[in-house]
Amino acid sequence: MKSKSNGKDFCIFALPGLFCFVAVVIIPFVYGVYLTLTDWDGVSQVKNFVGLANFAGVAKDAQFWTSLLLTFKYVVFVVVIVNVLAFAIAYLLTRGMKGQNFFRAGFFTPNLIGGIVLGYIWQFVFSRVFVNIGESTGWGLFEVSWLSDPSKAFAALVLVSVWQLSGYMILIYVAGFMGLNEDVMEAASIDGASGWVKMKNIVLPLMMSSVTICLFLTLSRAFMVYDVNLSLTAGAPYGTTEMAAMHVYEKAFTSRQFGLGQAEALILFIIVACISGLQVYLTKKKEVQA
Amino acid sequence: MKKEARKIIALGLALAMATGVLTGCRFGFASDPDDPNGEVEEEPIDTSVDTFEYDGSLEGTSITLLNSKAEIQVALEKMSVEFEERSGVHVEVMPVTDGDSPYTKVVSLYNSGNPPTLSILDTTDVIALAKEKAEDLSGEEWIGEADGYLTEVDGKVYSFPLCIEGRGIIYNKKAIEETLGEDFDPASITTLGEFEALLNRLAEAGMEKPLSLAKEDWSLGAHHLQFIYETYDGTSEGAQEAIEKIKAGDLDLASYGRLEEFIDTFDVLKTYNVAGKDPLGADYDEMAIDLADGKTAFWFNGNWAWPNLSEAGADNGDEYGFLPYFMNNDEKDFVNGQIQASPSKQVMIDGQMSSEKERAAAKEFLNWIVYSEIGQQMLAKTCNIIPPFANNPYEPGDPLSRDIYEKVHAGETFNASAIVPNDHWSILGAAMQKYLAGRSDREELTDSIQQYWDEQK
Repeated sequence: MKSKSNGKDFCIFALPGLFCFVAVVIIPFVYGVYLTLTDWDGVSQVKNFVGLANFAGVAKDAQFWTSLLLTFKYVVFVVVIVNVLAFAIAYLLTRGMKGQNFFRAGFFTPNLIGGIVLGYIWQFVFSRVFVNIGESTGWGLFEVSWLSDPSKAFAALVLVSVWQLSGYMILIYVAGFMGLNEDVMEAASIDGASGWVKMKNIVLPLMMSSVTICLFLTLSRAFMVYDVNLSLTAGAPYGTTEMAAMHVYEKAFTSRQFGLGQAEALILFIIVACISGLQVYLTKKKEVQA
Repeated sequence: MKKEARKIIALGLALAMATGVLTGCRFGFASDPDDPNGEVEEEPIDTSVDTFEYDGSLEGTSITLLNSKAEIQVALEKMSVEFEERSGVHVEVMPVTDGDSPYTKVVSLYNSGNPPTLSILDTTDVIALAKEKAEDLSGEEWIGEADGYLTEVDGKVYSFPLCIEGRGIIYNKKAIEETLGEDFDPASITTLGEFEALLNRLAEAGMEKPLSLAKEDWSLGAHHLQFIYETYDGTSEGAQEAIEKIKAGDLDLASYGRLEEFIDTFDVLKTYNVAGKDPLGADYDEMAIDLADGKTAFWFNGNWAWPNLSEAGADNGDEYGFLPYFMNNDEKDFVNGQIQASPSKQVMIDGQMSSEKERAAAKEFLNWIVYSEIGQQMLAKTCNIIPPFANNPYEPGDPLSRDIYEKVHAGETFNASAIVPNDHWSILGAAMQKYLAGRSDREELTDSIQQYWDEQK
């Protein structure tokens, strides 16, 4: 009796969802893996099986490894800055300061603007507004467009990503801070903990669940960055700010080497999956219950 | 309750600020689509005469046209309305959205089993798709009218040449004359040395940096660099031969004269670049404004730049034209006297998924463009492009296209277009950017080109 109704429940509740999941995630994924073994150019009807030749091609594609290294650098900067900044701002915004709701909404706004639009807005800011400021004030920092110098263009990318992402993370951290048990805080104060000690021993461990989520979100988002990369720098100057996801797209569609691009995408996927998995495992272990 | 109200106010303010940011960014852009003064005037079309014979059996057919030439989207829609009124065939014009490449778009449409009946594509794309997807058009009547402008794949014609486009150094005659205080005759400049002397005189007369150079990779990688193949002997076959030789290692780039001359020319352009201090920070819209305002006198570009110039305030009556991409001091060398002009956009008919009737309707549409009085006028005047068909008596309206048109008819152009791999512009465009920024030298640039071709084997 019981098992029978379970089967029916499964059909009613899980099957539609499972079907969608398989159709839009599993099948394309498996198909994508299959494509890495072919020499498909994206349009022809024949797909020749080439074995692991594409993976050998990835090893030889120096530009891919350069862009992957750059992506790592970018991820480190973005993840660290976003989380530290968001944590600090969220902390300030939950201490009952005047107008904190206004600030919360304000900080969140950049996140509502799509990556492409945001990139174009900042491109204008970097190449026109800043340059104009530089011209009229004579500040060397702004005299030439940031986007025409490799290291400054990279800094610009990090800056814009931080600006966009931190609002979202602030929201999660704010929720975490609001959920902190007042009793525990009060008890800690009575026991003489204050300032840094309270932060390190009481607040941080209790905030670990928020940290897990935020780190995961920033990590995966930063690794997969494409929209801001495309609209802000498009790899300029001379291909020095081309991140891994963009390189994969260029390989597949501009160079028309679908198999090779797909193989690079698969490698990127494995790296991101491993790192995010490891991060969730490590931070989960640190989570405590109040 | 009070808290709720405060939240709502906060959200409202945040939204107001966001819209402020979004609209604020329009400040300083060249074009304002809402500005009635900025509207481009359009020449009226005479629809009284139409001797084209429409095939009545096609009435009610509906076909699609993928358009990758954004500036003629509106014009194509108008053409489709006119065509439907007369033939009963509906042509749905689909634009390739900004940021998508035409090839990516057409490939995704094919992969979803819903390809456009007609697609406007670049020549390289047509060659990539021709044999498997395209309808063989070798038997079409218009072939006879487009002599010299057809693209053949294995001896067959798979595409319809839509327009001729040319590129070179655009000049603003008024700006030159006002700066120098004398008449300017573009024909008087016949060598790189004379051009450099002119730039120098302009600089001395107060126009310190008289030239604009786009930093975009498509401009540098395709429009500049491809001159080294196209000037091999000034024909498309020659360009192909040069490429094959470079690939095979038979043509050593380090001692290839055209590459050396090309870099010499590029160095001159670089020296007088208005964005010389920060060449990679140059802004495309601003270049059009600078040229139209007379802050600069030259801009390396093609006749497709007219909409930008027109938005920047240039008028159809103004005197703009092209100087050749001078490459040396030999007056007799064709590169110093002729402008590169060749068919750039091709229309392909899907031969794989479309029905017999749809194909017939698509062919009729192409014939209508070539043979009907209305189609001819709309191609030249509404789309404002240079028709490659000898029987089309109409001239394009804007000064840049008109200049190319006149030069084509006076034999002052060379028709060569290099067919290069699809990532040529992006990969070598980056190498050119590096050279433009002064972060690599001749040798490194030459090596990058050589390396690129070595990888294509």
